[in-house]
Amino acid sequence: MDETVAEYIRRTVLKIPRDEIKTMLQKWGFLSEAQLQTLNFRQIKDNISQEVVQLCEENSADIKQAAVLDIIYNHIYHNKRMWSVYQMKKSGEELEYFDITDFKKKFKGRLRSALKNVTITFKEYEDNAIWIRVAWGTPYKKPNQYKPSYVVYHSQTPYVFISSSVLKSNLPLLCQALIVASNYHDIREMELRSHSLNSLKDIVFKRYSQNFQTYSPKPLQGGNSEPESADIRIVQENRSEKERIHRLNEEVFGGGPQPKLEFAQYKLETMFKSDPKMGVLDKKEPFRCLVKFSSPHLLESLKSLAPAGMADAPLSPLLTCIPHKARNYFKIREKKGLFPESFVSP
Amino acid sequence: ENVDPQKTAFLLRKAWTLYSVTPLYRFHRARLRDYARLLSAFIAAEKQKGLAVEVGVELDIKVAVSSLADLRGSEQDQAAVLVQLSLRSQASSRNSEDKLVWSGWFCSVYGDDLSENVPEDFTCLPLFLTHGAESYTSMVGSWFQKTFDCCFRRLAISPLNLSWMVAMWAGCQLDGAASAVELVFSVPRLSQPLDISYAIHPEDAKALWDTVQKTPGEITQEEVNVFMDCLYAHFHRHFKIHLSAAKLVKVSTAVASAHCDGIVKILHSQYLPGVLMLLTELAISQIQ
Repeated sequence: MDETVAEYIRRTVLKIPRDEIKTMLQKWGFLSEAQLQTLNFRQIKDNISQEVVQLCEENSADIKQAAVLDIIYNHIYHNKRMWSVYQMKKSGEELEYFDITDFKKKFKGRLRSALKNVTITFKEYEDNAIWIRVAWGTPYKKPNQYKPSYVVYHSQTPYVFISSSVLKSNLPLLCQALIVASNYHDIREMELRSHSLNSLKDIVFKRYSQNFQTYSPKPLQGGNSEPESADIRIVQENRSEKERIHRLNEEVFGGGPQPKLEFAQYKLETMFKSDPKMGVLDKKEPFRCLVKFSSPHLLESLKSLAPAGMADAPLSPLLTCIPHKARNYFKIREKKGLFPESFVSP
Repeated sequence: ENVDPQKTAFLLRKAWTLYSVTPLYRFHRARLRDYARLLSAFIAAEKQKGLAVEVGVELDIKVAVSSLADLRGSEQDQAAVLVQLSLRSQASSRNSEDKLVWSGWFCSVYGDDLSENVPEDFTCLPLFLTHGAESYTSMVGSWFQKTFDCCFRRLAISPLNLSWMVAMWAGCQLDGAASAVELVFSVPRLSQPLDISYAIHPEDAKALWDTVQKTPGEITQEEVNVFMDCLYAHFHRHFKIHLSAAKLVKVSTAVASAHCDGIVKILHSQYLPGVLMLLTELAISQIQ
């Protein structure tokens, strides 16, 4: 077995938490159950990975099998990577039958015709997701297995999720190969990025609970409302306001869990407006700002701002449009003409 | 006032942790070398007691204590005192340099409010800035406390003071490209914590401040409030969020940046005296 492959397998196993190693090796299926039985999973990871490499040696593993293990690791720990979303466009609207073999052949063909040194690996999952791993080389160097790009393509949709390697120059080639292989004619990057691949899917596939325009005539009891005041004499403490906020929140965000995003960024190029009495800045040029919101779970925290008294309800559409516009990067410019107070984002 | 930029270059672009220090009793500038020796012995003893846990090698710490004559505001101020801890190099050759592992300096820039009211045997250097491992800070601090009967306290910076800083520094004239004026807010008490970074183009921030500030060279609380209200209003117009209700935790400009935990970074020597003067003031109000 090539020692670069051995080293790559060793390092990949080292990344896996000790309790998960056995399951992942089973999913990989390259080592037999009998071989797995011989492994001692109670020792330190360094030793476990050495033993795994030895077993792989017995089975003459090559880079192709090692790459599959890497895909399996990244499929489970996809949250460690930053994912961008791309949307492909068809010229016509023909519903073509998707042939996975044809796709793979065309994808590999397109990449290999441009770049000799490249490792391409595919793995299909039950939810129609095709995972593609590409390790990039140059005409003179073998592929760098430690900085691959990962692509997740759901064949029934025009969406592709890409976690790019640091070598950004390969991105155009990757995009080209995708549209050629999938019979689309164009691809564009959406302004939507997150570590949570599943949340990105929820957003573009519209799998999160959206605002249903149901009118509830009775005021809502319980649920999200604050615990009752300790003083029993206070009965109506802002209750109607709290209920109004709660209702508006439900309308805008929906009742179910929000897709998990970590940040939203707004580049503001709008005018600074103030009370003329204050005698401050009155420039004809935009007041340039960059605003970034970050949170372990951005949409949930935005949803809780109005109930906490930190924001007006309804919350600004700039924030609430994130899931249904499927973007978390915005450039906001002043809308000229009729509605000076409203904003346009290209 | 004319601070030699060469001598103060070491201050710039480092994150300094701030403390207020009560006046030092019977501190003699002539004895700096003795102090260095005593502090060195103290540190060696602390390490032998096992109180400072350093992983690995047996460390030999060299201590240097020096006076920075130019680092002061007025003639009434005491000159700054710099303490540096270096790792003695393992190699015996004379060319190998010791590695600086920790710096701390005491200073007073226009600290007259304090020094005027203090008896003769006391030296006023109310601001203490450190850079390096906390374990060293704690040893150096303990030795000074023991030797000069003084008291150290972490200097937190309130949102009010942070807004003073950002208003002041946003208005500074700088040559060359300036970085954005950034305010970082934290909203902790939500179901999921939220951080908001609000960065304004430096030219636009300065333009806003210039229309707010009425008297050059003078800044009033009123003006700072107007500046901040303008920023809050612009934000609210877009996002409907009341930024004034969030906690301002950090401000950052091309001149300097400051964090509410009492950490500052000074980026421009031109404004060094001004920044130090403000920090000295904060330190003094914490002491009094």
